[in-house]
Order: sequence, then structure tokens, then C-alpha cells
Amino acid sequence: MKLFSRSLLTLGLSLLICSKAAFAVQAQPVPIPEDPSVSPQINISGVGLGTVGYDKNGEVQSGKGNVNFSDSALQIGGAQKLYEGGGVGSFGMGWLTIDESNKGTTSPFFLHQAFLDYQDEKYEALVGRSDNLNAHLVDFPTLRGDDLITLTNPLNPFSNGKNVEEHRYANVAAFTLNQNLKYFENIHAQHLINSADPNADTGLNSFGVTFQYLGAPGLESFERLPSWGFGYERINVNSKSSSGVNQAILGGIVNLNESVVNRLELGLQNIYTWGSDLRSFSTITDTFEADSNAVAASIRYLHTPFGRPAYQVSLTTGYKNYSKVSDANSYGVALTGVKRLGHGFDVVAQYQGQWRTSTLSTAQSQGLGYEQRAEIGFAFNFDATFNEHIALRRTLLNQQHHYISD
Amino acid sequence: MSEKQKDQDLSRRDFMSIATAGSAALGAGLILGQPQTAFAAPAASKSAGHAAIPPGWANAFQPAATAPLYPPRQAPKMGEKIHEFDIELGISIHEIVPGIKIHAFTYNGTYPGPEIRVPEGDWVLVNFTNRTSEFHTIHWHGIILANEMDGVPNGTQWGVGPNQTFKYLFRAQPAGTHFYHCHNMTNLHVQAGMFGSLIIEPKEDLVQRVFPYKREYTLLLSEVDTVMVEKQMEEMLRMMTTMEKMNESPKLMKEMNGRMMGWFMNKKAFLDAVKAGYIPPYVAANTGRNAIPNFNFFLINGKAYPMTEELFIRSGENIRVRLIGAGAMPHYMHLHGHDFWHVCQDGSPLQSPVRLNTIPIFPGTTSDIIIQGTNPGMWHFHDHSDLASTNNGLFPGGMMTMVMYEDAAEHGVKVPEIVQVNS
Repeated sequence: MKLFSRSLLTLGLSLLICSKAAFAVQAQPVPIPEDPSVSPQINISGVGLGTVGYDKNGEVQSGKGNVNFSDSALQIGGAQKLYEGGGVGSFGMGWLTIDESNKGTTSPFFLHQAFLDYQDEKYEALVGRSDNLNAHLVDFPTLRGDDLITLTNPLNPFSNGKNVEEHRYANVAAFTLNQNLKYFENIHAQHLINSADPNADTGLNSFGVTFQYLGAPGLESFERLPSWGFGYERINVNSKSSSGVNQAILGGIVNLNESVVNRLELGLQNIYTWGSDLRSFSTITDTFEADSNAVAASIRYLHTPFGRPAYQVSLTTGYKNYSKVSDANSYGVALTGVKRLGHGFDVVAQYQGQWRTSTLSTAQSQGLGYEQRAEIGFAFNFDATFNEHIALRRTLLNQQHHYISD
Repeated sequence: MSEKQKDQDLSRRDFMSIATAGSAALGAGLILGQPQTAFAAPAASKSAGHAAIPPGWANAFQPAATAPLYPPRQAPKMGEKIHEFDIELGISIHEIVPGIKIHAFTYNGTYPGPEIRVPEGDWVLVNFTNRTSEFHTIHWHGIILANEMDGVPNGTQWGVGPNQTFKYLFRAQPAGTHFYHCHNMTNLHVQAGMFGSLIIEPKEDLVQRVFPYKREYTLLLSEVDTVMVEKQMEEMLRMMTTMEKMNESPKLMKEMNGRMMGWFMNKKAFLDAVKAGYIPPYVAANTGRNAIPNFNFFLINGKAYPMTEELFIRSGENIRVRLIGAGAMPHYMHLHGHDFWHVCQDGSPLQSPVRLNTIPIFPGTTSDIIIQGTNPGMWHFHDHSDLASTNNGLFPGGMMTMVMYEDAAEHGVKVPEIVQVNS
């Protein structure tokens, strides 16, 4: 869910630890029993998203209405100041609801966060389930994070296509260096979730680097390029058609109007995939692996009359073509509106559609040439911190007036 | 001498006459209002002519005593002394105790700001330059001055903006212990360090005459919610940096309005805005943390125990301690092993010193006490509201220091100095 904030994760690595208290049940045995008298900072954040909508998928299917609460998420975490060096250690865990929710037969939850994180002024190290590091270079302003995902996200060639969250999240080991909390260089190894062939142990199957620039926090209105970056990923697919594929991603936000009240932003992203010998699709997984180029763009208008968001209108578009597979193009569009009713509570509406040519639709959308959905509903987000004693890391104070870790 | 000056002098002579009476009552040192004889000042001259006035509030009461000695709106005249100070405000990192640092608003780089000490009746000129992105002022707490110099933003003056300089000019009156602080977003800015002592030395120090002293200490008492300071300073920095950038652009200036800042021309304009849909920020706070401050460090001169400065004394010595309630909470300063004399309140000498071992210091008040070197040793001097004797909830810490006898060993007291950070 991506509304006014970039994402829940940027609100903080503020995370939970299940502290052992005397006579209380311990979550799991730990190597060194924790001192129960030092309670960590506790953070709970969540997003609720519920819509009622109407789907029309292809000419052969009749339209149908549905209720969708996917991409609602709950995240809990704990963070603790460390003994030396001004570091902070944290742990986070979170679940989000997935599109299986209407079937009622499988788990409606997906564990999208379960990670440990160390950070100080210059460095950050993260291990566990978290964001696919190239998937959030640009957060497009669609209602849900997986809207138009095949056009806006680098795709996971190990996914069987049933759960789109497998493109957005992975098992990650990452190290990030930064300069003045503006320039971030990341090197990482990932295990992209392997649902296509669960019996195959692919281990660490993806390695990459990213660079990202993030401007002064809260002052995005005044920078022409408040955020941009690029990344490279080498994925060891090791299938019969290729020994590995490469993904290059480049994207950023362009500020079109220097204004506090009337913000107008252009989001741009290009994902280029090469290295596969696939020349036809036999499964949906092949559509995630084959050489392709995906371009996405969005225009976002946010009206903030008195220093407080009032409403947002955005248009997101994407186009993708496969260079070695013929008749396999797709394009999509999402028109999204958000009206803020109160702090954290919005009424939302969206129309989205995605069209595929026949080869691609056969493999990716059960032969449906297009999928369209119109929906309206509510969104709520919150972020509560308890026992607060650790300040945010990327702040103007830390950037402009020397860094304090605590 | 004007009539007002005469009134002021009369008041002081009353104080002295009471002290003299106390000095004469040898052996009755426990009687409230009488200093112990061993430390009494030389007897005041009987020629003062008021020894016959019976002590007591009714006789000493001077209805005109609160009138200023000098007309507040008077301008300096040729030949009058002007003390000029440059105070520059910036953002610095302040360490409360090892391991606890905050971003702070600092006058001339210190937390609290530098002490200003001037003789009564002289002029004070303060060139206050704001090197931060926020608005600030300096309020001269307890000073009787021209309305325009009082330092209340959007009241007596506009807030001093980024890189602006405001000249405060006032006459140093009344004498005594006072302080200064920012009056913009006071709750945040004082916690962030914007306060300092202002000592106006009287032409005639009655306390000195009654309790001769050579050493004195000024203790500014305050408290801080370190989380709130860090978060709200960040929010303010973002907002004011935004405003500053908007000021640079004619186009963006058109977008700026009072509702964005929460500023209105008058009460009617505020009510009209609410009717038109404006939601005041306190309805659903949107600036930083919205909880009531949860003070976690309690400070003497910006430091918490064990990093507070000790007070040194010798046997037989008087030391003067100026206690200033600069923060938002009352504090109850208690001295172990001693009684002390409460001699001045809010700058003015009391009609009669009061013997105490615990003195309440309420926000905005100042109290001067005399500690007499009567019991050699190393003695705790701390806020007896036990919450304030903690650091982040752990005892000992906070608003605690020591009165240390330099000659303790000579009197057989051999208490080692132990720094205790956890009970």
C-alpha cells in the first residue's frame, strides 16, 4: 500500500523483541538470556486497506464484484541501543494479507518481514526476510504495492506466479554504506523465494549492488531530484534455458513543481533483463525470466494546503516487451485517488487495467487479454512507539548538525 | 535621590535591622529569621536609625516597593554605563552525562547559556543573533524593562528569524538573581538549552553584609525529555527550513499563510479559520510527538549527576547559592547535614532570613540561600522529589550534587569520593 508515505518500512527499523521476563514464557531459547530489566524500544505499525471493487477480465469472462483486503499489513519490532559505537540493533517481523484472501482455502498472510538489523552512522547490516532491495528503488503511487507489479517490479524467476509478494520480498543479507545519510551504497546476497521448484535448493541465488540518493528528509518539495538510484542484480537461475539472468534497474523521482501546497512529481523507472535464452513461454515462471525491458512512469499530484495532506491523484503507467519472445508485450495503467479524512485515515479509489498480447496472456493471465478493476474503499495507517528512546537516523538534525545515534 | 529610591533603601534597611536584631540575640539561633551568631555579619550601624522599628511584616511593608527604581522606558543618557554582550544562537550537541547526547539550542555554544552579571542601574545591551532556522527570542525573566524588550514573540516583538539580530536594551533592575530564556515554544526551547542566569549586583549587598561570603554558586535547575527534544527539534527544523525556502521564492511566498504556521492576526481570525475548516494541531497533533513531556533527565546547569559540578566550602565559611527554577517542574533542594538560610526570593532580600534544610524551587522563581560551613564532610545536595534524582529512571542521578568541605580531612572526615551510577 503506497499512499502518502513511501512505505511502512521507511518509518523505521523499529522493531520488536520478545523480551524474557521473570516467570513469563520465553518466545524461543536465546544464546545469552536477555537482561529482563532493560526493555527495548517497541514499535507497532500497520496498514489496513479494504476496498469493494468490480473486476472485468477479458472478453470471455463476465464481470464480478469482490471485496479485497490484500496488502493490509501489521509489523512489530524492537530496537536497542548497543554498548559501543552508537549503534542500534533491531529486529522486525511483519505480515501482510495477500490476494488469496477471497479463496479462503490458503493462508491469507505472507511473512514479509523477519529480519535483524545493525546500524550506526555509516553502516547498516541486515539479515533475514525483507524487501527485495531493487524492488523499492521507486515506490509507485498505486493503491497496493503489487498493482501493475509485472511492469513496475524486477521479477523473481523462481516464483510460480501464485503469490506476487515473492517479487517484492526476499531472504536478504545486505550491507549498506552511506555518506551523510544521503548516498547509500548497498551490496547484497539474496535467496529469492523458490516456489516454482520447491524441491530444488537454490541457496543464495541472487547477488547485487544498488546505489541510492535520498534528499533531505521532509524537504522533497525543494529538490529537483529528491530521490534516485540504480542497481544491478545477477540471478543464478541455472535453468535449461540459461545459467543466469541479469537485471539492471534505474529510477528516480523528478520534482516538477517547487511547491509545498501543490506537489507534482514524476516517477520514472526502467528495468532491463538480459541473459536468458528463452524464446517462448511454457510456464508463467518463464515470463519472469525472459529477456525484457520494462518502463514505468507515474505522475503524482498531492495537495497539501496547510502543511497537511488533503488529497492525492496519481496516474501510473507501464510498458513491457520481451526481446526474444514475439507477441509478448504488455502495458498497464492505474488511476488512483486518495482523500484524507483524518490523521492516517483515507478514502481511496482506483481504476487499473493491464493488457497483454496473446503469447504473454497465455502464459501469464490464463489467456485473458486484459484485466481491469475499479475499486473504492478505506485505508488506515498508524505507527506507535513505546518505551521510545532511539531517535530516527535519517534526520535533518543528524545531517546538518552532527550525528547522534541515540 | 527620588522617592522611589528612598523607598527601596528603606526596605533594605529593614532587612538589615532584622538581621542585626538576630545577631544580638545570641544563643537563640534556632528562632526563625535569626542567623546563627557565629556567621552573623558585623552589626549594622545603629546610625541607620531603624533599630527601634519592631520586626514584623506590618511595619516593614512598603506598598510602593515593587515600583521600578528607574523608569523602564527611559533611554540611556550620556555617561551612563552600558554593558554590551553578543549572544549567538546555534545548534550544538550537548552531553548530559556520558552516553546521553542531544541536539540543543545553545546560546554561544553552551547549555545553559553564559551568565550575564552587571551592576544594578547600569544598562545592558544584548546583540542577539539567531543562527538557526527557527524563530527565537530572549525573555528577561524578572527584569523591569520597556515592554518592547520583554522578548515575547508575536507579543512584544516578532520572533528573531534566521540570521537576524535583535538588540535588547534595558536597565539592570531590580537587583538580585534572575534568568533569561527563550519565550518561543518555551516548553521545547528551554528543554533544549535556551536559558541562562542574569545576576544584577546590588549597589549594596545586604546578604554580603549579614553573611560575609567570598564564593558563590549559581545553580540553574531544569529537566529534559530527551526524546521529545530530539523529535520536536527535527519537526521544527523541517518546518522552518521549509518556511525559509518559501521565503526565498515569490511564488512560494504566495503559498504561505498563517494557517500553515498556526498564526492568526487575532482571536476572531482564529475562530473564523476554525469555522472554515481549519483543524488546530492540538486536535490531532501533527508536529512531532504529541504526548506530554516525559522528563527523563533532571539537570543542574545542564548536567545530571554524577557530572554536576560540586559546591566547595570550608569550615567557618559562608557560601551563597543562587537557585533558579528555569524548567517546568518544581524542585525541592535538600541539603544533608545542615540547615541553611533562605535570604532572597526572586531577587529581592527577604524581610527575614528563613532557616530551612529543604527549599522548594518552583518554575520561574529564584531563591538565594546561604550555606554555612558548620559540619565538615561531603554532603549531598539534591532534589528531594525522588523522581528527579534519577537518570532515565535509574537512581542515583539527576538533580544532585555535593557540598564538599575542602578541609574535611583536617576535621577527621575521610569520606572517599565515589561516583555511583547505579544503586
